[in-house]
Amino acid sequence: MQASRARLFKEYKEVQREKSVDPDIQLLCDDSNIFKWTALIKGPSETPYEGGVFQLAFAIPEQYPLLPPQVRFLTKIFHPNVHFKTGEICLDILKNAWSPAWTLQSVCRAIIALMAHPEPDSPLNCDSGNLLRSGDLRGYQSMAKMYTRLAAMPKKG
Amino acid sequence: MKASIAGKREERQRRQNYRERVKAMMSQAIPEKATTMEASSEKAITTEESSDKAAIMHSEAVAESVAASVLEDWSNIRDDAIIQQQNAIIAEEAEKMPFVGDKEALSALAAEYESGSSILKEKIKILEEKYAAIRRTRGDGNCFFRCFLFAYLEHVLESQDKTEVAHMLNKVEECKATLLGLGYLEFTFEDFVLSFTDLLEGVIQGTEASISYDELLDRSRNASISNYVVMFFRFVTSAEIKKRADFFEPFIMGLSNVTVEKFCQSSVEPMGEESDHVQIIALSDALGVPIRVVYLDNSSNGPSKLDVNHHDFIPSSTGSSSPNVTMLYRPGHYDILYPK
Repeated sequence: MQASRARLFKEYKEVQREKSVDPDIQLLCDDSNIFKWTALIKGPSETPYEGGVFQLAFAIPEQYPLLPPQVRFLTKIFHPNVHFKTGEICLDILKNAWSPAWTLQSVCRAIIALMAHPEPDSPLNCDSGNLLRSGDLRGYQSMAKMYTRLAAMPKKG
Repeated sequence: MKASIAGKREERQRRQNYRERVKAMMSQAIPEKATTMEASSEKAITTEESSDKAAIMHSEAVAESVAASVLEDWSNIRDDAIIQQQNAIIAEEAEKMPFVGDKEALSALAAEYESGSSILKEKIKILEEKYAAIRRTRGDGNCFFRCFLFAYLEHVLESQDKTEVAHMLNKVEECKATLLGLGYLEFTFEDFVLSFTDLLEGVIQGTEASISYDELLDRSRNASISNYVVMFFRFVTSAEIKKRADFFEPFIMGLSNVTVEKFCQSSVEPMGEESDHVQIIALSDALGVPIRVVYLDNSSNGPSKLDVNHHDFIPSSTGSSSPNVTMLYRPGHYDILYPK
C-alpha cells in the first residue's frame, strides 16, 4: 500500500514534468484518491479513430506496480480488442505480460498503438474482429469511424 | 511468381468461404436480424456524412443485440473474473506453503517418494551422500528467484563476507546503469533495487540496520519485501539478456521462437513466469554469483550405475567457481539444497 502510493506519486510528478512531451495523452489523477486516474487520449491519425478523444478509466490495485492497473475505455469504441459494452481492453501487458517497467503514461501509449494496430485474432468484440478477419476493411473502418463520430467527438449544434 | 498468385487466389477463396460461414452462423444464431445487420453496416457507410441520430441509434441497438446474442455465453466470462479466480488459487496455495519454508533434513525428500519410482528413490539415496538438508519454496512460478534470494543472503549472513557484499553492490550499480542504458526509467525500478540492497546490507552484522537470521526468514516470507526482491532479480535478468542479446538470441529462438525483446516481456519480467536455463545464466552472470542446479527426475542413463546430474552456472566475470547457491530442480520447480 505504502509502496504503491509512493510509486504513484512519482508517476504523478513525472506526468506533470512530461505534460508537453506527449500531447496525445492527458493523464489526470483523482484529487481525493491517488488510486483512481483518468486519461484522455487522441485517436491516432490515419485510423478510423482520428479526430476522436477517448476517455480511459484507471483503477489501480494496492499491489501496484507488481500488479497491472485495470484500464477501461469509458468512451464507446468499435475495436476488435475492446469490449463493446464494458470497455475492457484485451492487451497482454495489462494481463499476463505486465511488468513494473510500464507506467500509466506508457500504458496509454500502448493503448494508442493498439488502436492503430488491432489484433483481430484475439477479439473481445467479435463483430469487429470478424470484419477484419474476413478482409472487410471498409466495413470495419466505417463502423469504427461512425462510433468515433458518435461517441468521441464533440456533438455538433 | 505463379505460386504466389495461386496462393493469393487460395487466400481469397478462403476468405470468401470464411465470410460465408460467418454469414451462415449469424443467420442461424439470429435469423430475423441477419439482414438488418448487413443493412446496418451499409448504413454506417452512408450515414457517415449525415447526422441522422435515429438511424444511428437504430444501428447501435442492432449491433448491440447482435453482440449480445452471439456472445451471450462468452461475455459473461470476463478477464477480471479469470484473474480473480487465479488470485483465489494463489491465495489458497499461499496458505499451504510460505514463500520460503523451514530447513528440513533430506530424509523429508525420501519420505515424499516412498511410493515413487525406483529410479527416484535410488537418486535420492545418492543425494543423501552429498547433501544434508532441503528448504522448500512456494511453487508460484517465482521459485527460482525466491531460492536465489534466500540461499544467497543466507550464505552472506553466515559467512559475513564483506568483500562479497562490496562486490555485489558494485554489480547492482552496473545493473542500474544497464537498465538506464536500455531506456528504463529510474523510478520504475529503484524501489525494487532498494528492497534488495537493504537486505544485503542488513545481513552484515554490527550495524544499526543489521538483521538476524530469523528476521531474514521473516522478510523473505513477507510478500511486500520478498516479491519486490524477486522483481529486482527479474529486472536484472531481463537487462542482462537484452544487453547480451546476440549471445542469448539463439537459445531463446531455439526455446520459444520469439525475439529477445518479446521473451523478456513475456517470460522474464512478469511475476509468476517460470525460469529456465536462459534466466539462470543471465542472473548468475549479471550478479557474479555461481549457482549449482541438481536435477532430480526419472531419467536414467541406461542400466549402468545411476547418477544425479547437476549443472554449475559459473559467471565469466568472477574467479570464484565454487557455487554457494545450490538448488534442487524437479521438473517445474526449484528448492534450496544444503551440501554436507
